[in-house]
Formats: sequence, structure tokens, C-alpha cells
Amino acid sequence: MSDEADEQGIKMVMAIIRPDKLSDVKTSLAEAGAPSLTVTNVSGRGSQPAKKGQWRGEEYTVDLHQKVKVECVVADIPADDVVEAIADAAHTGEKGDGKIFVLPVESAVQVRTGKEGKPAV
Amino acid sequence: MGWSVVIPLQVDPSVIAQGVNYVWILVVSFLIFFMQPGFALLEAGQVRAKNVGNVLMKNMTDWALGVLVYFLVGAGVATIVGGLTSSGGFDVAAAFSYIGDSGAWIDWLFGAVFAMTAATIVSGAVAERMDFRAYIVFAATITGIIYPVVQGMTWSGGLLSSGGYIGAALGVGYLDFAGATVVHMCGGVAGLVGAKMVGPRKGRFDANGNSQPIPGHSMLLAVLGTLILAFGWYGFNVGTQATVLATTESGGLEFMGAALGRVALVTTLGMGAGAVAAMIVSTSYQGKPDPLWMANGLLAGLVAVTGAVPHVTWWGGLILGALGGAIVLPAYRWTVDSLKIDDVCGVFAVHGVAGAVGTALIPVFAVSGFSGTQLVMQVVGVVVIAAWTIIASAIVFAIADAVFGLRVSEEEEEEGLDAGEHGVSVYPEFVGDAGPDGALGSPTATDGGSDVRTDGGVVKDETVEANGGDSQ
Repeated sequence: MSDEADEQGIKMVMAIIRPDKLSDVKTSLAEAGAPSLTVTNVSGRGSQPAKKGQWRGEEYTVDLHQKVKVECVVADIPADDVVEAIADAAHTGEKGDGKIFVLPVESAVQVRTGKEGKPAV
Repeated sequence: MGWSVVIPLQVDPSVIAQGVNYVWILVVSFLIFFMQPGFALLEAGQVRAKNVGNVLMKNMTDWALGVLVYFLVGAGVATIVGGLTSSGGFDVAAAFSYIGDSGAWIDWLFGAVFAMTAATIVSGAVAERMDFRAYIVFAATITGIIYPVVQGMTWSGGLLSSGGYIGAALGVGYLDFAGATVVHMCGGVAGLVGAKMVGPRKGRFDANGNSQPIPGHSMLLAVLGTLILAFGWYGFNVGTQATVLATTESGGLEFMGAALGRVALVTTLGMGAGAVAAMIVSTSYQGKPDPLWMANGLLAGLVAVTGAVPHVTWWGGLILGALGGAIVLPAYRWTVDSLKIDDVCGVFAVHGVAGAVGTALIPVFAVSGFSGTQLVMQVVGVVVIAAWTIIASAIVFAIADAVFGLRVSEEEEEEGLDAGEHGVSVYPEFVGDAGPDGALGSPTATDGGSDVRTDGGVVKDETVEANGGDSQ
């Protein structure tokens, strides 16, 4: 366990990414040593321009784009490494690549073993 | 009351027979048309949600554009090819005389529903990445030329029939009763050629060339489509036994119950055997019985007996159906793993391979006994039809590629063909939030009217600049 990781406590890295980048992000996270994750289909709005939808010739605006939310809780691996791994894998350079947030986590429990704190992660 | 009147029958029995037979032909034509929703559901279920609208467009185009082309061109081409490849001669005016002859229009419709079935098979193979304009070119050509030539060589008395050049040389005609090869193998092989030429979907094969599954979005739709297709198939097979009442030499009427019964029974047994065989094969291959494989096997069983139904024994039909169903999984794996062709709905395995095997083996199970010459004729017929379909399809797809490009852009494939080709979403989400006028006036538009801002205060839309320093 590195000093940096020792200091950081438990962190949640929450990333909103393009759905088609999920596979690359999973691979990248596994290579970074943080393979455990939770994935959710989400819709959201950011800098990506709104799309026009059509229904019988009448246009409507679709400003909520389909994204995938990846949540990755780490203790031993520096959160910065996880952020970098996701950012590298999810990057295309176009608007709509997503965002990554790092949140502190107060505590954790592994349901199977009952372990608490860092060992639970 | 206790009295009765006997009305003497003063009508020509042949008119009664004709009337009954043509009512039957009309009913089965409507049944065969009902295979179209079956195909639409089957194919829609096997693609991802973002491409469902495109699949539906292709299926509707196959039918709608196809009937126009087949009326104006296709049916005449079939007759011309029939004459040219036999001693029948060449008469363009006679070949197209049906266009002005209302007495020929029921027969035209009966032919058309078969042609459209061949056309609609192709869309399943090339789904999720083919340019819609390129597909339209192919749909028009298969109903105008590719299928009519096959029809001409077989059912219209051409090359492979007993009067055609090859048929006459061998002394027997090619047997394909309702179109296992004429319709289904033609569609299945054309689909294989299209899938090969348009290339696999992005992500179908990894960097090492190993196949990666791309699950369809609804197995429910796929299986429901299969059963609707099987329902329509009764029209396809049993309806090809088009004579219900025949006139006898003594002027009476004869009900063709035995002929109809054989076709109906063998169709049913082939379907059942194909599904059960595919269930067993998929269980031994994957460990558990798989609904999609069983559905594919049911159709492959139907395809396998479609050419054979009036010609084979009941147990022969059962064996042919089982063969067709059993071969679906290995044939599909071979297409994907060895040929590296991304045939999305497995149309080559289901319609191509099962059609070829079932039709080639007709003489082995024939009611009339085995005939070596007939077996040779069957193999020759399968090879000729497959060769023509491969060459003609390759040329048409090459032309469509040169004019429009066969494939949509990589970005469009990622976004989905529904949005890219048609500007629609089959399963829209959160539409109510934005409202028909965009965010304006919508109850959720509380963050600045139509100018949607990101949390960095940058106005979204074309005026948006880079999200600046606030991005993560």
C-alpha cells in the first residue's frame, strides 16, 4: 500500500462516459488494478449539443443524452490513477465525452465477510 | 314442415372447382403476406434497440417497393428467363401480357408474395450497418431480376425444369415444391453475400478476429416473430398445393384431400422436428436449451421441408426437418468463426443451408422411391441457383457500393441507424421532459429557458465554446 493511498482513505470515483466507451474503460480499470465497479445507464445534459428528434414531422429537442455512469470505490489504489485510467479510455475529444468526480467515502462494509473500512473495499 | 326442394345442379363443375381453388389461392396469398410481420419482428428482436426502426423500414420497403417492381418488371422477367433457357422461345409482349389481363392478377399476387419473402430475408443478414439507399437498390434488384431469374429457371419452365436445357439433358425436372431453394436459399445466400461485402458490425470481431456477441434487444420479439412466420408458412407450403377441387374425366369433382394432407402434415412434422433438433444440439453445445436457437431451428425445419412436402414420406419429412434444425447451429458457427461473416440473424444457416440440404435430399425420401438421376438433378439445381444468386448479388452490391457506399459512417453506426438514417428513436426516453418545443415552456426548464447552460455557465448549442477550466 503506497503512502498516497494510505492518506487518501476510501474514495469513490464516479464517471459519466459514452456508452460505447464502457468496454475500453473496463479494460483500462482492470489494468489500473481497480476492476470492481458498478455501472448504470443514465441520461444527462452537459456540453454536448442537443439532438433533434422527430415524430411525424414535428421536431423535438433531445437534450438528455444517454450515458453510462461508472462508480468505482477504491482504497488501495490512488484515486488519481483511477481517474486517469477512465479519462484516457473514455476520451474522444468531442463534446459529450463525460465527466469524472471523486468523492470521499465515510465507510464501507463487505456484505459477505462483514469486514469494515478499507479491507471491505 | 317436412318438405324439401331438390334444385338440379345446372352449373359447370369446372367453374366450381376454379372458384374454390382461387379462393384458396387468395387466402394463402394473404397468409404468405403475413410472413412479413413475422420477419419484421424476428429481425427487430435480434438487433439492438438503436437499429430497430431501420430494420422495420427495410422490411416495409421489401414489401412495398418489391410489389411495384415485381408487377412492372419481375414477373415478366421470370417468364422471359423461363422461355430463353428452354425451348419456350422469346416473346417479351407475351411475358408482360399479365399487366393488362385482370384474369391473370390472382396468379400474379400468388407469385408476388413468394418474391417478397425472398427479398425480406436479406435485411436480417445486413442489419445494423448498411446504408439505407444501398439497401433500396438491392431490394429493387432482387425483386426485379435476381429472384425472377431463379423463378424463371425453375417454376416458369426454364433451365432446371423438365423442359429446360439442363432438365431435358438429364431427363428429369428439378424438384422444389414451394421454394426452399428458389425463395429461401436465394434470400439466404444473397444475405450472406451482402453481409460479407458490407463487413462485420463494429465490435463483432475483436483484434484477434475472435467473434464477440452483440445480443439483440428482445428475444421475445424474435420468438414471437418466428411463430407468426410459421403461421404464414402454412400458406407458403400448403397453399402451393393450389388445387383443392379437381375435375374428373367423368365430369365430377374430386377433393384433393390426400395431397393437401401430405403437404400439411409434412410441413408440421418438419417444423416440429427442426425445433426439437435445434433444442438438442444447442443444449449439447451450450449446456442449456436456448430459445433463439430453438426458434431458428423451427424455421430451418420448415425451410428444409418446403421443397419436399408433396414428394416425401411423412417420416422422410420428419428426418429432413430434423436435419435442417440440427445443422443451424454448426452452420451459423461456421459462418461466423470460419468465414468471419457477420450474418446478424443467421439467415444463411436458417434459409440457405437448410434449404440446400432439404431440397438436395428429396430423392432419398421420395414417395416414388429413390432415383439417382433425380439426386444429380437436385444437386445441380442447388448449385446453379446458389451460383447465380452469389454472382448477381455481388454485382448489385458492388454497384450500390460504388454509387452510395454500402456502409454508414462509423459515427452513425455507433449512434444507431434509427437516428442516423431516419431521424427517429423507436424507444424514446425523457421526451416529455424536453417537450415538443425543446426545453422552452417545459416544467423542468427552470435553468434559463431555452439556453441550456452547463454548470460552468457556458451556453450550450452551436454557440458553445469549450467547457473551459471547469471540466474535470
